[in-house]
Amino acid sequence: MLAEQVINGLVLGSMYALIAIGYSLVFGVLDKLTFAHSEIFMFGGYVGVLTVALGVPIWWAIPLAIVVAGIQGLITELVSFRKFNTPDGHITAALSSFAAGIVLIDVTQKFWGSDPKDLGIPNTIYTASTELFGLQIVYIKLAILIVTLLIMIALQILIARTRMGRNIRAVAESSTTASLLGIDVKRVTQQTFFIASALAGIAGLMLAMRGGFADPNVGLSFGLKALAIMAIGGMGDVRGAMIGGILIGVLEGLAFQYGLGKLSEVLVWVLMIVVLLVRPNGLFGRSVNRELRA
Amino acid sequence: MSLDLALFTGINILLAWSVYLILLTGTLSFANGAFMALGAYVSGVLTAKFGIGYMPAMAMAAAASAVIGVLTGYPALRTRGIYLILVTLAITFFVQTAIENTKFVGGVQGMGGMMGTSFEIVYGSVIVVGALIWLLSRSPLQRVLDAVREDEHVAGAIGINVVYVRLALFGIGAALAAYAGGLYAHHMFFVAPDHFTIIVSVFIVLYVIMGGVNNMWGSVVGAVILTVLPEAIRFIGEWRQGVFGLLIVILLLFRRDGILPFRSVTARSGRKADA
Repeated sequence: MLAEQVINGLVLGSMYALIAIGYSLVFGVLDKLTFAHSEIFMFGGYVGVLTVALGVPIWWAIPLAIVVAGIQGLITELVSFRKFNTPDGHITAALSSFAAGIVLIDVTQKFWGSDPKDLGIPNTIYTASTELFGLQIVYIKLAILIVTLLIMIALQILIARTRMGRNIRAVAESSTTASLLGIDVKRVTQQTFFIASALAGIAGLMLAMRGGFADPNVGLSFGLKALAIMAIGGMGDVRGAMIGGILIGVLEGLAFQYGLGKLSEVLVWVLMIVVLLVRPNGLFGRSVNRELRA
Repeated sequence: MSLDLALFTGINILLAWSVYLILLTGTLSFANGAFMALGAYVSGVLTAKFGIGYMPAMAMAAAASAVIGVLTGYPALRTRGIYLILVTLAITFFVQTAIENTKFVGGVQGMGGMMGTSFEIVYGSVIVVGALIWLLSRSPLQRVLDAVREDEHVAGAIGINVVYVRLALFGIGAALAAYAGGLYAHHMFFVAPDHFTIIVSVFIVLYVIMGGVNNMWGSVVGAVILTVLPEAIRFIGEWRQGVFGLLIVILLLFRRDGILPFRSVTARSGRKADA
């Protein structure tokens, strides 16, 4: 039982991690907070619904989620971030992205209703399992873990080894210096938004696949938790977000195991405050002296 | 404009000012929805369950919220920038979860039995609070707040106790939000935890940011527009929520520094002869 909850926690944690990485990328590169991110995550589930409705194999949902969420990210950047580049514009941009998120929720609810929408795939996908070391492993959970692992490896390579990743790191270090050195900051910003949103889209899709339904209200609860996880892991630190997400997922799984399920909703926020008081830059964050002015 | 809408507008103006007051020291609070909830519940419980009068209950709710504001603000205000935003968001989550799990106030079902409010009470409060904030903006205290907001190190160096000033304004803002929450509860006759979600906290901040952060009138304009707008576009019908969101995005794009961006005349610039 305990091991099973740990696996559930890992599955949950990998979704947290994917969303938190997105927040972290955007914050690291732009110093800005995007509230639309959690709604792009929510919409990922509906990409699953869309895929089933189109009648194509369900695995097509993954590339589709990347494209759809990525485009949503680009639109968010265009309407809510491009124009707000003064120090005082940070918070306006955050609120503008919040409004953009409201629009996305409304559009979703107009097309699929305000109640959770069944994906409509055969139930066998949730029960098909295999026995491994005396544990029942449901394939879908295994698939989620493998996909997350692959994405994280790919992301690490992208950030650390490619030219695009080098540009992103340069802009994160200092956008002024980066632009002086000939880096197209606008383009790097767009790339960052695309990657971050695509990760959120995949996370939303996986959440829907695991539960069998897409939920229009998941953004503000599940999505915002990832924001706290980003702070726990360390602002703008991708590895921190990965480890933080998985840590919180497993902790919530354990809390559930010991009958503290109710507490799991606030657990992450309590942890965040404790971490911020003890280590203000997060568990893995370097000492960065950034501040988002009000 | 119906009476109902007028009362909500007044309450939202008070809420916007509660964020504005805290923002005077450079602290952006996403916790005011939580303080509003505290005020609504404390004043509701006192009047509905203990039979205490209207005004004493409101005063006690504001005082309780100020105390809780200072207690939570003390650790929270040590953080800056985005961390502070996250910590204040966390306060909102805590309060909502606490109310949901308290049987005494009805949990998720909410509680009723408040006594109602009137146009005179709400707008009387708006005028009194507005006058106080206006007096503040003409007083030397405004310069202290300006100093704390613009540069806390310089403010500290000239002998201002930055932590104390921040905490005091946070407490005052919490009290005002609670008072507005009390008005809200009595006007609605019923409150439930989902009246005070994170969205409410974000919207209160949005009133101030959209109106303009540099003067007290910006908060008023922001609160009025964002309260009346959803009603004004009711004719659109089912796409109302989406259009509302879209209008917010557009308004923010076209008035990047707020609808009223000017900085209000403070005590110093008011007196020409000095300087």
